[in-house]
Amino acid sequence: MISPTALTRRAAPVLACIGLLAVWQVASLVLKNDSFPTAIEAIRAVPDILGDKEALINILASLRRMAMGFGVAVLFSIPLGLLMGRSRAVAAFFNPLLMVIYPVPKAALMPIIMLWLGVGDVTKTLVIFLGVSLPVIYHSFEGAKAVEEKMLWSGAAMGLSPLQRLVRIVLPAALPEILTGCRTGLVLALITMITSEMIARQSGAGNILFNALDMGQYDTVFAMIIIVGAMGICLDAIFERIRARLVRWSEPQFDMPLSFS
Amino acid sequence: MKVVPSRSSEWVKPVASQKPASAIIEIDRVSQVFQTSARKDHLALSDISLTIEEGAFVSILGPSGCGKSTLLYIVGGFVSPTSGAARIKGQAITGPGPDRGPVFQEFALFPWKTVLGNVMYGPRQQGVRASEADALSRSLIEMVGLKGYENFYPKELSGGMKQRVALARTLAYHPEVLLMDEPFGALDAHTRTRLQNDLLNIWERDRKTVLFVTHSVDEAVFLSDKVVMMSKSPGRIRQVIDIDLPRPRRRSELLLDPRYQKYVVDIERMFDESDEAGSAT
Repeated sequence: MISPTALTRRAAPVLACIGLLAVWQVASLVLKNDSFPTAIEAIRAVPDILGDKEALINILASLRRMAMGFGVAVLFSIPLGLLMGRSRAVAAFFNPLLMVIYPVPKAALMPIIMLWLGVGDVTKTLVIFLGVSLPVIYHSFEGAKAVEEKMLWSGAAMGLSPLQRLVRIVLPAALPEILTGCRTGLVLALITMITSEMIARQSGAGNILFNALDMGQYDTVFAMIIIVGAMGICLDAIFERIRARLVRWSEPQFDMPLSFS
Repeated sequence: MKVVPSRSSEWVKPVASQKPASAIIEIDRVSQVFQTSARKDHLALSDISLTIEEGAFVSILGPSGCGKSTLLYIVGGFVSPTSGAARIKGQAITGPGPDRGPVFQEFALFPWKTVLGNVMYGPRQQGVRASEADALSRSLIEMVGLKGYENFYPKELSGGMKQRVALARTLAYHPEVLLMDEPFGALDAHTRTRLQNDLLNIWERDRKTVLFVTHSVDEAVFLSDKVVMMSKSPGRIRQVIDIDLPRPRRRSELLLDPRYQKYVVDIERMFDESDEAGSAT
């Protein structure tokens, strides 16, 4: 038995999507612009793309690079952020470096990286890595800094070494904050994935999108936007599930309805 | 160890005349300076010497800012003194160790662990087999009155319950000395009274050495064998007072005992005097 409030809550994200598509449909019909297909036309083009083997291979290649970039970034950034949070010297060394890199759009570095590493997977994965790293480092840093000193003292009294305290106390205690950073990182990974493929056209979801744009296939362009958006929602929903499970012990938080929870 | 009250100055004895039978902790001319700003130093502790006998319940009593917690952290090995030294069983204290178990006002439980997980943490770290640690922890959880809460997370517990878990967690790795840093300071009056009673009951079982920091005169007198009175800026020991009241103690009985009342009133008077002396200068 689902209560009316629960029903509304569950239906809300679906209603929002339908609402958005309706507005799109109306706007497109009113504007009557060739480069602005209706929502229905765009949706119709989705199965065409997903049914095409070539396109599917491209999209999967994108996702593979994204997973690589994201994974390596997380493995690199969490330990660095935690060390920065617990050691003034490490923080003093890395903070200025990160402040220099932070405002630079990572895609702007692509042409240079392309010169060094070519237009292949390595360049794109590296750009995704750069895009994901900063928020994860930042949130790990903040999370580690906020760990209660007395909690570490309690661990020290039990005989935990400094490294054990970092892995077994700082890491779990900072996990809610770290995962917030990872969630931001995941969205950024998707964004940098598309932008990297816009700059280094060779394969990938971004390549399909921009090729279609060049050829004036606007329904395909918008269909790709829908597909990328849907990938974002799905990835975020999956991540949110994992996150909620890992930090069940921390305070419950209200969330955006994006996750379909 | 009980000192028989003398005629005139009653039970008040100066520090120098304390002759311990079997000292477990020795604090030897410890001073602690904190740098508050680039040019200003704050003398938190000035030349503290104190000996704590094995099995004694000793309270460090003083106003906030007198450095009483700092003194406890030095014994815990969490803070190293600017000068002087602290020793446990003759060994210099250079860092934290499982022979000294802290219980903090902030509880400092591991929020990602259940009650059972928290209590088991110390024994597991010490290499006790999982099944053994589990059994030990369950019995400790029962002892502190939390049977049935083994699988709860700290966020699901009240302040009093959290502090019970913290106590069980520390007892679980069998420290020789309990270091309690205003453990009941964050609790409401009713919960505090109950925990004081329960702490004494638990303490009666094995009479571990306890170093207990508090700013409550009546808590110090109720719990302790010995009360170390401190004054502030700089933090100094003012007086060490032996509390010669029978054990086991029940709060409801003790409150009516004129001897208990006299201890409390006399200590409060001494603090008042020092406040006046302090404001006069």
